[in-house]
This record gives sequence, structure tokens and C-alpha cells, in this order.
Amino acid sequence: MSRGSNAGFDRHITIFSPEGRLYQVEYAFKAISQSGLTSVGIRGSDSVVVVTQKKVPDKLLDSSTVTNMFHLTPRIGCVMTGHNADSRSQVHRARVEAGEWKYKFGYDITADVLCRRLADISQVYTQNAEMRPLGCCMILVAMDPQQGPVLYKCDPAGYYCGFRATAVGAKQTEANSYLEKKLKKKPELSHDRAVQMAISCLASVLSMDFKATELEIGVVTKDKPKFRTLLEAEIEAHLVAIAERE
Amino acid sequence: MLGEAEPQWLSEEVKTGTTIIAIEFNGGVVLGSDSRVSAGESVVNRVMNKLSPLHDKIYCALSGSAADAQTIAEMVNYQLDVHSMEIGEDPQVRSAATLVKNISYKYKEELSAHLIVAGWDRREGGQVFATLKGLLTRQPFAVGGSGSSYVYGFVDAEYRKGMNKKECQQFVVNTLSLAMKRDGSSGGVAYLVTIDEHGTEEKVILGNDLPTFFDQ
Repeated sequence: MSRGSNAGFDRHITIFSPEGRLYQVEYAFKAISQSGLTSVGIRGSDSVVVVTQKKVPDKLLDSSTVTNMFHLTPRIGCVMTGHNADSRSQVHRARVEAGEWKYKFGYDITADVLCRRLADISQVYTQNAEMRPLGCCMILVAMDPQQGPVLYKCDPAGYYCGFRATAVGAKQTEANSYLEKKLKKKPELSHDRAVQMAISCLASVLSMDFKATELEIGVVTKDKPKFRTLLEAEIEAHLVAIAERE
Repeated sequence: MLGEAEPQWLSEEVKTGTTIIAIEFNGGVVLGSDSRVSAGESVVNRVMNKLSPLHDKIYCALSGSAADAQTIAEMVNYQLDVHSMEIGEDPQVRSAATLVKNISYKYKEELSAHLIVAGWDRREGGQVFATLKGLLTRQPFAVGGSGSSYVYGFVDAEYRKGMNKKECQQFVVNTLSLAMKRDGSSGGVAYLVTIDEHGTEEKVILGNDLPTFFDQ
């Protein structure tokens, strides 16, 4: 009985392998990197910022219809990395969960509770044979009424956590090391500094100089607690500020 | 009279006796309501705001059974929350009215509530919809509730096309005042909500500040 009787299906559905691994969940993580995009989120002292690449692979595509940033509630936003279709499915589920919470309990859901709910749903997919895990990772941002700026991430394994800064996607290891170095001394990050650090992180790990049309930036700030995406002109202003500092 | 039952107000259904009115002007709408909630002969709440938000720029006026009306409003509010996230912009007033109508029609045997839906959206500006018994119709203005029967003559005679915001607000306040004086199930204070492109304004007019007419 040392091999167990799963007859090699441990790679096909989410059951344990003899070493105690869930191969399907690990493959889901690989699927996130398949999209080739990287996203970064940074929590400042009075704002939270998420930045992702905007790649429009086809010249015929209308780039205004391509986005990875979504509103979940007026105050909670997210950036999705990974499979586009899975991303939209998770975003839709999140919106419905948030709406139901408000209807049932009479107050707006908070980002940490919404993240936990989505993580719990993702966990179910790692136990059910008939459904595969989703190949996408969600970074949520919001201004929590009690805790101030918050940044949460939930992944296909059903794990979720709050972060000071985090990265997801093809270059997440390099991006996470960059962020660790920059935030080691626990600096106080103003809104502008947080945006510029996120852009610099991506520019550094991808070795690219970005144009304003190649980035999507979503922010929540203390004075404007509703989630919004920056306009091209605002992104341009930040890029110019980064160039001037160098 | 041995074994006199519990007080009447415990067994009577709680109704929002009510006068409600909504009127459209160029660029927005004005909604108005009284504030009396009755259970039979007793007034259960004399300051209830019957103008309930469905979304930032869409409100509804409640009449009929208090519980039924509130429940419909809350359900539509929930549906509009998710809907507005999905479409990425503010919902149309017509969408809100359709959602209310669908519930009112599907459960028309069980429910007894009439909601007037009014608001502003950027496609059609100010709009007022009546959803009585599951019908959906857009009107320049709509009145509802038990008090409305006493003021049909007044509103028909006094309404003019092309009134501006201030004139509409005065029209609403006058109508409510007259209805509240004549209808036993309407009274209290008058609540006014004005919605236009720039925002939503809520106002309360206390009983003694309401306009007076011939016999007052």
C-alpha cells in the first residue's frame, strides 16, 4: 500500500499525491504566469496602489475594452492576473458576494471579509473533483473604515493574506525581492511615492521603459476613498516624475 | 366584554397610509412624501421617511403595506448594486423601475404595495415611473397612496408643463400639504428629495412650516 491506490490520477484531479501535494493546484499557479503579465500592489500610509501591464497583443484590438482592473464595490477595487476568463468569473462572483452581504447584513462588506470569502470559494475547488481551480490571482485594495488603507491577495490554493506590498504574475519572484528591499526600512510612503515605487518595480524587473498606454494603475486614497483607475495624463505625470528623479 | 382581545394595533397590518408624489422637471425630479405610518387607528410612526434610495440618483416612494414596500425597495437596491458594478456606470432609472415592476407583478397576489420610482440618469435626464400592481409607465408626474385621491383635482388643475425645479418643489409641497390635511392616514412632516445631474438633496419640512390654504 506504499503507493496508494490513486493509480496516477493525482495529476488529473485535485486529490493528494503520495508526497502530499495537490498537483492541480500547482498547475493553477503555473497558469497564472502563462498570461505573461505581472501586477504589483503597494500600501502607502494613506493610500493603496495597484499597477499592472497593459499588453494589447493584436493591432486590431480596441485597447479601451481591454482591462485587468475591476470595481467590486464602489470602495473596493481589484487587479486580476492570469487567465482572462477565470478572472472575469471570479470578479463577477465577488460582486455578487459583496451585494448579498450588503443586502443581508445592512452594511458594506470590507475588503478582508470579501477576500476571505473568495479564498473559501477557491478552497472548495481544490477539494471538488468536478471543478478545477481558477487560474487567476486577485489583489484587492480598499480604504477600510477602521484600518485605513488595506491590500489583500487571494490565490487558487484558497490562501489569502494582507500585505504591505506584493506582486503576482510571470515575474513575481523578482518583483517581490525588489519590494522587500525597498520596504525593508519601513518607509512612510506618500501616495505619489507609492505609485512611483510600483511603476519603478515593474520597470526594473521587466527591464522596460513604460509609456503611459502600457500601464494600468488603480488607486484608493484617503481623500478619495472610492476605487478609481488613473487617466493616461495622470500616469504620464508619474512617469515624468520618475524620470526627473533619476 | 370578557376576554377582550389584544389592542387593535397589534393585529392590524402596518400600512403606510400615505401620500406620495414624484414630478419631473428639465434636468431632474422631485419626490415628496408624508411621514405617517398607521396600524389601524393608531399612528405607529409619525416621522417615517418614505423616500427610499435605490441608488445614488434613483429614489422610490413607498406606499401601501410598510413591510412589503420596504422589502421591495431593499431587494431592488441590492440588485442595482450588483448591476451597476457589472455595467461600470450608474444604472438607468428605467432599469430600477423595471426591477420594481417585475417583483410587483410576479407577487401581485401576495404583496400590497405601490412604489413610484423616480431619478436622474445621463441618457434620459429626469424620469418618473409608476409601477402600480405590476404595470410600468413613464409619466410627467405621479401621485400615490391613500391621500392621493383627495388631490387628483388639485394636481390636474395646477400642473403645467415646463415647470422649473423651484416650481416643482413648491407644487410637491402644496400637494402634500393639502392631502395631509384631508386624509386621516397621511400626516406628520413632509420629506422632499430633489435629484439632478449634480446630486441628491434631502429636505424635511416640519408640520408647522407647511403652506396653509383656505380653512387653516
